[in-house]
Amino acid sequence: MSSALWVSKTGLAAQDKAMATVANNLANVNTTGFKSDRVVFEDLFYAIEVQPGAQADQINTVPSGIQLGSGVRVAGTQKVFTDGNLQPTGQPMDLAIIGSGFFQVESPGGEVFYTESGQLQLNAEGVIVNTQGLPLVPAIEVPNGSKSFTVGSDGMVTAILPGETLPAELGQITLVNFTNPAGLEALGGNLYRETISSGEPVEGIAGEEGMGTIKQGVLEGSNVQVVEAMVSMIAIQRAYEANAKVLDAASGMQQFLNQTV
Amino acid sequence: MDRLGYTAMTAANRTMTSLQVHANNLANVNTTGFRADLEQSNALAVNGYGYDTRHMAQVQNNGISLSQGPLMPTGRELDVAIKGKGLIALESGNGEVYTRNGNMQITPDLQLTINGRPVMGEGGPIQLPEYDRLHIGSDGMVSVQPRGEAMMTEVGRIKMVDVAAADLIKDATGMLITKSGQPAPIAEDSVLVSGHLEGSNVTAIDQLVATMSLNRLFETQVKMMKAAEDLSQSGNRMIRGS
Repeated sequence: MSSALWVSKTGLAAQDKAMATVANNLANVNTTGFKSDRVVFEDLFYAIEVQPGAQADQINTVPSGIQLGSGVRVAGTQKVFTDGNLQPTGQPMDLAIIGSGFFQVESPGGEVFYTESGQLQLNAEGVIVNTQGLPLVPAIEVPNGSKSFTVGSDGMVTAILPGETLPAELGQITLVNFTNPAGLEALGGNLYRETISSGEPVEGIAGEEGMGTIKQGVLEGSNVQVVEAMVSMIAIQRAYEANAKVLDAASGMQQFLNQTV
Repeated sequence: MDRLGYTAMTAANRTMTSLQVHANNLANVNTTGFRADLEQSNALAVNGYGYDTRHMAQVQNNGISLSQGPLMPTGRELDVAIKGKGLIALESGNGEVYTRNGNMQITPDLQLTINGRPVMGEGGPIQLPEYDRLHIGSDGMVSVQPRGEAMMTEVGRIKMVDVAAADLIKDATGMLITKSGQPAPIAEDSVLVSGHLEGSNVTAIDQLVATMSLNRLFETQVKMMKAAEDLSQSGNRMIRGS
């Protein structure tokens, strides 16, 4: 059977996966702290039928061999950690990281997850939690009735406690960074988990040693560029069509052969 | 027996193999840094006893197209694209391999890699220190601001080579290697653009037109096979005298 059929099939399958990734990016265009995914394509192995440079005889070498590629595959998806747009909200509990870095939250199982979404709230006990209710690490408790909640650019949290006139320090929000953030495992819900390829988390104070600074009253939007996503959608669609055409051509050849001979 | 049928068969075979080359190019129309494979066929004499019996068509891989692909801005500092001539050198198990795919990743032990293969510097793979900021210059110089320091320091220069398309072939994993197997010398004048990736240099139109033309060619060859059959049938009829 014609192997061109199978080669174009790999093209169709890979473009299909790429389209799913772009669709997910576009679906999350308004998700706070979302980082877009990028598909990495890789050509499949080559069947080398005649080795270039092989001896044709004692004197001559084969000038160029026959190397038949066997298509394409999606080698992986990569999170692209560029900064998203900053949207001022005026809410004191909305924090954005300007630059690199992640907030840490603790799962019910005690595991630490990482997030770039700084949409924070207080739970019933007055502990600062993220939208899923997971407490920040290190945990910060805001006593009931506190006024003028302030987060400094270095993550220092202060508030005026009931019955006081001067602000008191409640704790400091620390950030973590990774050698290779693209290697983090995306868990959904804006959460990431460390893996072997991301490296160990390096904890630090915002604004120091390469960490971004924290800005209060601002949220970091998704870094999906709508126009860019649209353009890649068109490119993927056209590539899909071209591969479908080759599939058709290869099948047409088979059909003609079967009918004629 | 008439040879025409066999000659037409080799041509039809060649058409199908050529189609695979174009199908592979088209499948990789969105693969970063992919270089299109070229294909052509030549006549191969089939030697008989003292004389050539016939000529067959045989596909020959005619090398790789090194034409420039489109540069696409990505904004990621570890994405690099080469403007004009040049290839990025990577270390593989069997010596150096070359690529135009500049999608670099950092391993947890701080090595620059592409496709899992370490990126070569002037004196071996590039090893980064713990850093806060990274910048890649147009000549491939990688400089970083080491953690806790204020000044940028140079850590190495990405090795870029300039090899003629005629001296390059693809290995089984699709990476470019030199025909001689020797590592290529550094090209001083190659220009890198950081924050961009180079797309595939496959032009879908060319490949589709080639596909269509191969399709028609195949039909012609099959018609020739049919003609050969008709010829031998009428020959047989003549001998039978009916």
